[in-house]
Amino acid sequence: MRIGLMQQGSLVHLTTRVVGLAITFVIACTTIFAEAKTDFSESQSAEVIEADHVRIRWLVPEQFAENPTGKTIGLYFEVDPEWHVYWQNAGDSGAAPRFAFNSEQLAVGDPQWPRPKRLPIAHLTNIGYEGNVAYLFPAQLTTNGADRVTLTADLEWLVCKEDCIPGFATLTLERPIAGDEDQWAAADAEIIAHFQARLPQPKESAPWQIDSLTFNAASAELLMTLRGSKEHGAPTAYPLDGNFVSAAEPGVTEMADGYQLRFNTASGVATPEQTDFIIVADDNAWAFSDTPLVLSGIASGVTSTPSVAPANQSLIVLIFFAFIGGIILNLMPCVFPVLSIKLFSLIQTSGQGAAAHRVREGMMYTAGVLATFAALGGIFLALRAGGSAIGWGFQLQSPVVVMALALLFWLMALSFIGAFEFGHSLMNLAGKANSRSSFATGVLAVFVAAPCTGPFMGAALGASATLPAPQAMAIFLGLGAGLAAPFLLLAISPRLSSFLPKPGAWMETLRQFLAFPLFATVIWLLWVLGKLVGDDGWLIGASLLLVVSLVIWLLRSNRITIKASAGVLVFLAVVVSLQQLQEAETSAVPVASNSAWQAFDAQKIAAARQSGQAVFIDYTAAWCITCQVNKKLVLDTDEASTLFEQHDVLRIRADWTRYDESITEALAALNRNSVPVYVFYPAGGGQEVLPQILTLDLIRELFSKS
Amino acid sequence: MKTLKVLLGSFTASLVLLSALVSASAVPGKPAPDFSVKDAAGKTHTLADYKGEWLVLEWFNKDCPYVRKHYGSNNMQSLQEKYTAQDVKWLTIISSAKGKQGYHEPAEALEVGKAHNLAASAPFLLDPSGTMGKAYDAKTTPHMYIINPEGVLVYAGAIDDNDSANPAVIPDSKNYVAAALDEVLAGKEVSTAATRPYGCTIKY
Repeated sequence: MRIGLMQQGSLVHLTTRVVGLAITFVIACTTIFAEAKTDFSESQSAEVIEADHVRIRWLVPEQFAENPTGKTIGLYFEVDPEWHVYWQNAGDSGAAPRFAFNSEQLAVGDPQWPRPKRLPIAHLTNIGYEGNVAYLFPAQLTTNGADRVTLTADLEWLVCKEDCIPGFATLTLERPIAGDEDQWAAADAEIIAHFQARLPQPKESAPWQIDSLTFNAASAELLMTLRGSKEHGAPTAYPLDGNFVSAAEPGVTEMADGYQLRFNTASGVATPEQTDFIIVADDNAWAFSDTPLVLSGIASGVTSTPSVAPANQSLIVLIFFAFIGGIILNLMPCVFPVLSIKLFSLIQTSGQGAAAHRVREGMMYTAGVLATFAALGGIFLALRAGGSAIGWGFQLQSPVVVMALALLFWLMALSFIGAFEFGHSLMNLAGKANSRSSFATGVLAVFVAAPCTGPFMGAALGASATLPAPQAMAIFLGLGAGLAAPFLLLAISPRLSSFLPKPGAWMETLRQFLAFPLFATVIWLLWVLGKLVGDDGWLIGASLLLVVSLVIWLLRSNRITIKASAGVLVFLAVVVSLQQLQEAETSAVPVASNSAWQAFDAQKIAAARQSGQAVFIDYTAAWCITCQVNKKLVLDTDEASTLFEQHDVLRIRADWTRYDESITEALAALNRNSVPVYVFYPAGGGQEVLPQILTLDLIRELFSKS
Repeated sequence: MKTLKVLLGSFTASLVLLSALVSASAVPGKPAPDFSVKDAAGKTHTLADYKGEWLVLEWFNKDCPYVRKHYGSNNMQSLQEKYTAQDVKWLTIISSAKGKQGYHEPAEALEVGKAHNLAASAPFLLDPSGTMGKAYDAKTTPHMYIINPEGVLVYAGAIDDNDSANPAVIPDSKNYVAAALDEVLAGKEVSTAATRPYGCTIKY
């Protein structure tokens, strides 16, 4: 069923053609005219097909040689100016031509596709050929003694400008078989040679090789890294799998030793294990088939992740970093008070068996730290295997955990300052020295240390996100060993502990003083709660602290009824605040970032980088103390702002306070899974990951180089 | 250990919560983009109107050979009849801009619907601004979408696995839309949730 518009189009077109041709061809054209008017579902059948906007003919020898050597034949599509036909992956719309050969004497192989070009149509991208193109086929005689080749090809094609016209036809062919050499018409042989030169060559002859093909599920981007010579200039690449890889032109970044190509992919399509490209540079094409896909990020599952791990960092080095990082954790403001109180209570023990007692305590503490790291690591690995994208510090992305920690620190601080005498169990956590409490101190130390990702820890923890489970666990335990080491050493070495001050009244004073860092930690945790669930977080958290304080006061009473009502009160307070927290969490809105810094948006970042704008990304979280310090002392200073503005840097603040899949993935792509991380993408391309402790000098250096 | 349980529990809970909060875009498994479009008879349709019902979206352009493949063979109308009879709602959308191929004024669109024996749940939805089409990232005619009663997209892509314009291939093609609808109506998961759409470029 042909519709009016299209008929008119072909009429106009044919009229111009008639005018343009010599009178001797008028009769021939009238025939074409008649044919073009026939319904497209009624196939033509001839040696040459004249269809709307395309003429199709054979590229075959005039005479086939008798010997059965392999040869190349072709189908030549002569396409009207501005019209196009398609490559094997047609792109966003359109369709590749289809060929079905039938012959008793000639075996015809699969089509060979000359390198195509991208054809942008409105907001879409097609891949195909503008102008004439020859689709080539390997062919071989299969019979002995026959004197003629007969061959038919059932064709279906789509020829498009903005509108598309599908066509169907059967090409027929009959040629003699004789002599030792194929006899070609010179013009046809030339066309074959011209398009043979445009076929992709084996990848071995390419000037570069695919170093990696990394798929980032969060940004739905496919990153191809080519390493090798730049003699052919910047390449482009065409995906064969149009289901998975978008047809749009990839973004190309030049690197020191090659190029990086960035493709978009289709959402929701299953990720293939490997995929095919042809890569084109400087009028040459190479076929890269079956390139395995590496999935970046934790969500990608365990099987393919080991290859993401940085090859230049051995496991030993990573464990060493983790160990050093663990030692530094001891000095963090949230950890230090807890440990010092524990330590001083330990050195207070004296008399017979005191040394043995200390060793046992030190061991129990170490066991507590390691067991907690092992447990957290186990949960982390289990979630990772289950497909969740998570990162270190995930404990503090849960409002319930943050509130529980705030409550714990509040009670400890009150106890330190002597406001209350706690019951046995709570005091155990930080006070008295017995084995169970030492273990509990170890557990607590790990939990309170989590927000303080310090120097050296980033690389080690990041690697744990992508390493296989045993190696990742080794890194967690290395971190634990580092955290436990100073305390353990002081506990078990009489020489070292002899340097510690002698017990005395000053210890009570110090204990009271150390309540204040703990109060500060409570303020900070309430602030984190506010960032997590919105303004109500403050109110809910502070109210719970108030009610619990009241309950403890009530518990001093001797009257059983008051004690009982205190119990009911604390139960109600916890239930209500948990419920409030859940509600607040559902209604929480993302914290608006200030005007200079924009929220994390993978597409915006990619667009800025493609347009040549420099980008600075601050991966941060409210519960990360190092991040807050860097922000106040460096990033949000007037000088840094001026520098960023002068150099037109797109400033992105990736806030990881709450769980955020795309930020987790972006971190994983950098081989990190903790914050802070600072990344700078200079305008000229490339990437620079800054240290975790920032200085203004570091920011100045970014721009003095460029 | 109690702390760990709380930790694990609350973490899982917040994961579930957050996955529900992710922004809308036309990706299977995510909430379908909202729309508000008038049909050829002047009635406004929004995504919210179809809450609680299975909904199929189909992009249409009467002059597209691939649309003609499925309408000329009665394939599309049979699907519309078969599934609307099973209480699935079906909307056919025209996103061609004014002056572009496939654009119709409302009265003309009503006639085109009649001439094509359109068996959708409403007359053609007219989206000449392309707002709805672009929200869904609709690329071709016919580009097909299935939305579940909770408003989540469960299928996006081609109508079937054969991008030939020849209606003769239809009987041997695997119809993705029919397969997905049969699966969801039988309470199963959609096995193929996304495919590359084929057909003519939408004339935005």
